[in-house]
Amino acid sequence: MSALIKVGAIDDDRFDRSRRIGWLDMERIQSARCFVAGAGALGNEVIKNLVLSGVKSIMLVDMDYVVRSNLNRCVFFREEDASRKSMKTDIIAKRVKELNSEIRITPINSRIEEIDLGCLKDYDVVFGCFDNIGARLHLNAHAYYYGVPYIDGGTDGITGKIQVVLPPDTPCLQCATNKTHMKILEKRFSCTGADISIYEPKIPAEITTTSIIAAIQVREGLKIISGKKENCIRHVCYYNGLLNTFDSFEVSLDPMCPVHLSSYFKSF
Amino acid sequence: MPLRIKVRNAESGATVEMELEGENTIDDIIEGAAGYWEKDAGAYVLRRGRRLLRGQQTVAEAGILNNDELELIPDPEGG
Ligand SMILES: [Zn+2]
Repeated sequence: MSALIKVGAIDDDRFDRSRRIGWLDMERIQSARCFVAGAGALGNEVIKNLVLSGVKSIMLVDMDYVVRSNLNRCVFFREEDASRKSMKTDIIAKRVKELNSEIRITPINSRIEEIDLGCLKDYDVVFGCFDNIGARLHLNAHAYYYGVPYIDGGTDGITGKIQVVLPPDTPCLQCATNKTHMKILEKRFSCTGADISIYEPKIPAEITTTSIIAAIQVREGLKIISGKKENCIRHVCYYNGLLNTFDSFEVSLDPMCPVHLSSYFKSF
Repeated sequence: MPLRIKVRNAESGATVEMELEGENTIDDIIEGAAGYWEKDAGAYVLRRGRRLLRGQQTVAEAGILNNDELELIPDPEGG
């Protein structure tokens, strides 16, 4: 008996065009679990790209509400969200259903430092979409400890960077820090008498750089999920939007990095 | 004997020459260059070829040679 095909059925499959990309493992992508920390500009774009790529299960963490100044670069936010001061994670979890009704986003309205990150071991990839170094280093340390790949994004105006951390093989974010990073951390958490004041500088940001950096974060994540780790950025990539250039650099593992020491001692 | 190197500003393309001793650190070079160009109090990294240099490493440990050209790159923090 010959096979029966239905004319036009190809266009009924949402992921038909994705399946035509040989190295994308759509089965693994559709069953993958992703952890996204930060629901600002990068977080919006990372979620959009993950969902359009076929990822269905996402945990999203952020402690902030929508403000009007988010509206130049956040695809899921609307003017009414800013008026109502709606929580960013709740809005994304709701609006993402317009892209794909099968998506399950678990919104967590909290600072990353205040949640139990033991859950990271249940995820395939962790995406860092933060606006500060402290949160990045915190998540980097926990992802490394639990052996989960961590993909960090950062932007400033029309420059950006992506770092891919693959425990236990690669150096981590902490390995690539120096005194200038520590000075920013000290400034952010400066003590003023009995109180701790948090200094939050307003960093220039717009959508074109944000979308480029988030797209690369997600592409690296899809490589990891599809079993193509060896094709990932090694280890950090800087983007210069004025010249439209990308440069990748290696980071050497710091033998005194506390992240690797704690992961090492975990085995005893 | 002190080394003489060049540091390039990735944002402007400008360069500055710097005299170093083997015990100076990468942090010293970053601080010196960022101070010279009156950079904002942001994060910066320093590269030599295709490698980013670690802050605590000394010039000798990092294998920096006379007449090397290093590049100071801003490390974006926003998201
Ligand atoms: Zn490390």
